Amino acid sequence: MKQKESSKEDNILFVGIDLGTSRSSISASNDTREWVESYVGWPRDFISLQVVGKPVLFGAEALKNRLSLDLCRPLEHGVIKEGIEKSEEAVKEIIKYLIDLAKPESGQKIYAVVGVPADTLKVNKLAIRKAVAEFVHSLMVVSEPFAVAYGMNLLNNALVIDIGAGTTDFCIMHGTIPAEEDQKTILNAGDDIDEKLFSYLTEKYPNSRFNKNMVRQFKEQYSFVRETPGDIRVEIPVDGKPVMHDIKNEIRRACENILPAIVETTTEMIARFDPEFQVKIKNNIVLSGGGSLIRGIREYVQDSLKEYGSCSVTCVEDPLFAGSNGALKLAEDMPAKYWEPL
Amino acid sequence: MMPAIAGKREFKVKQAILKGVYEDNLKVVGKCAHPLAKKPSLFRNKILLFVAMSLITLLGYGTSSNLSSSPVKQFALSPANTRTPSPPSSEKTLNPSDYAAFLNGREPLSRVFGLGVRTIMIDPGHGGSDSGTSGKMGTHEKDMVLDIAKRLRERLRKHSYYTVLMTREQDVAVPLNKRVELANAAKADLFVSIHLNYLPSKPINMIETYYFGPSSDPKTLKLAEQENAGSRYGMSDFREIIEKIGETIKLQESKQLATSIQKKLFVNSREQNGNVYDFGIKRAPFVVLLGVDVPAVLAEVSCLSNREEEIELNTESHRENIARYLEAGILDYLSKGDLRYEAKREQ
Repeated sequence: MKQKESSKEDNILFVGIDLGTSRSSISASNDTREWVESYVGWPRDFISLQVVGKPVLFGAEALKNRLSLDLCRPLEHGVIKEGIEKSEEAVKEIIKYLIDLAKPESGQKIYAVVGVPADTLKVNKLAIRKAVAEFVHSLMVVSEPFAVAYGMNLLNNALVIDIGAGTTDFCIMHGTIPAEEDQKTILNAGDDIDEKLFSYLTEKYPNSRFNKNMVRQFKEQYSFVRETPGDIRVEIPVDGKPVMHDIKNEIRRACENILPAIVETTTEMIARFDPEFQVKIKNNIVLSGGGSLIRGIREYVQDSLKEYGSCSVTCVEDPLFAGSNGALKLAEDMPAKYWEPL
Repeated sequence: MMPAIAGKREFKVKQAILKGVYEDNLKVVGKCAHPLAKKPSLFRNKILLFVAMSLITLLGYGTSSNLSSSPVKQFALSPANTRTPSPPSSEKTLNPSDYAAFLNGREPLSRVFGLGVRTIMIDPGHGGSDSGTSGKMGTHEKDMVLDIAKRLRERLRKHSYYTVLMTREQDVAVPLNKRVELANAAKADLFVSIHLNYLPSKPINMIETYYFGPSSDPKTLKLAEQENAGSRYGMSDFREIIEKIGETIKLQESKQLATSIQKKLFVNSREQNGNVYDFGIKRAPFVVLLGVDVPAVLAEVSCLSNREEEIELNTESHRENIARYLEAGILDYLSKGDLRYEAKREQ
């Protein structure tokens, strides 16, 4: 299936990068698969530099040391709140870090396909190209759901719903590169769940002390919709003492909160197509991104769409790498003549 | 779950998709896209030549003597004349003495009664299926103005005194009359609509700001028609309304707001890039400006037909700057006659 372009130019490393709001991952043609949380932190002063011992930290390590760092999550909401130079720098650092993780041999040429959230792509195409260009020999930038679709060979009559942290991106594939109207982005996504969960918990347990980061961890560990067996209890300090809290209902409410918008957008997007194709697309809906890990989400979406006729919803197997694997596949399939040196 | 397509067809589809990705990316890089970029420009030149020639023929017949001053000609023959268009009426362009006249002008009534501004409604133009204008690199007006609007909102929110709302926060189509309803329902005190300009025949960057009012300039009317296309009112419907309004507080206030925004936008943009033209403040019957009960302006903050400007717009820092100038313009308007902001203005 894959054309091997590398036969004559053996010294090329193809990489697919998924630059996400929350997590970024890389897949390389030397079979490396790595990921990092999209946080970049720089030591605040020379004391913190002494403490952390590095000029720049990434992902979980940066989060752990966040009190001594200037922390930046460069793709949050697509809008950078403060310090634009800083966030551009942060994207650069993440790319550099990821490419280092892919362990290219010295002298090897790097051809990269980078998938970014659809909204970021619209307004920041050039900025992202600039950030990546330093570290690769040739480069293409595509939208994340498109990379996922290509990776799964869903080229025709399929709908990919990529539930990320900052946004949920929809992309309909119908045998060509998706046009503007085949893609849609809504803001109901992972960060939204965090915010809701945070406010529900604050409301229910006003005396307990927790922060956004803890709430995010609760979500990642326990998220579900509808019903799940057993209780969900977590340890949260109250007046310094750890106390068990029941958070099951809050988790459910927060997770279910984003679903109506997703279902509505799905029906809206499918309805634009010919009835004949509508059936085909409806039987080929794929959920990807961190949100597809919410327990019961597949069944929820499928059942909600049932009233519009039969449909089939599946989840990608490996949401963390679905985007980067797809981007890598794009890179490997891309005819050599399309790779232009930067 | 995979579509069962014959291998050969799938290969073909794949090739088409890969080519699409490649071309899409070429468009972004802009300068490297020789095979793509050249074609349309050649085509455009041909059209331009054709239009110019037919115009000359027309002129030769001397069918209308006032054609020479009509905007159609200015657009078509523009490569030769890229200066700031001369204003057909005194209403159009603002010169320094006008600014002075505003400053020394009579106190607006709302101020006399001590009415303050608390809620600011930002209206990013277009959205959803309506992309607005698009640049050659595929940049859409709707995306840019939404991003600028979000940045402006963040900036204004830092002055905790104001409630800042937006008519749309996502890439969705919002009909013009809905925007008007939103602003009125939210009891907005100020309405700022953000748009990008497009001048196909002029390789320049320009800034202009509109406020609501009747206009006699055909070019402005044409633009108003374009921007009003999403509304369900007929042109004749609101001519009547316009005439009724006359010189009201809203008009005065809108004019002042437009002046402040235009001044800050232009002066600051010129510092960044000398090649920008001040098209001044203008009156125009835009629907978004008409229906809103409060001071309302429509700022065309940049020009997407200009290649350099399109590249610039794709950088965050430039969009942040535009948001900053708009913020400065709004604060400048609000601070007139309001001592609370005097200190800030000094900075």
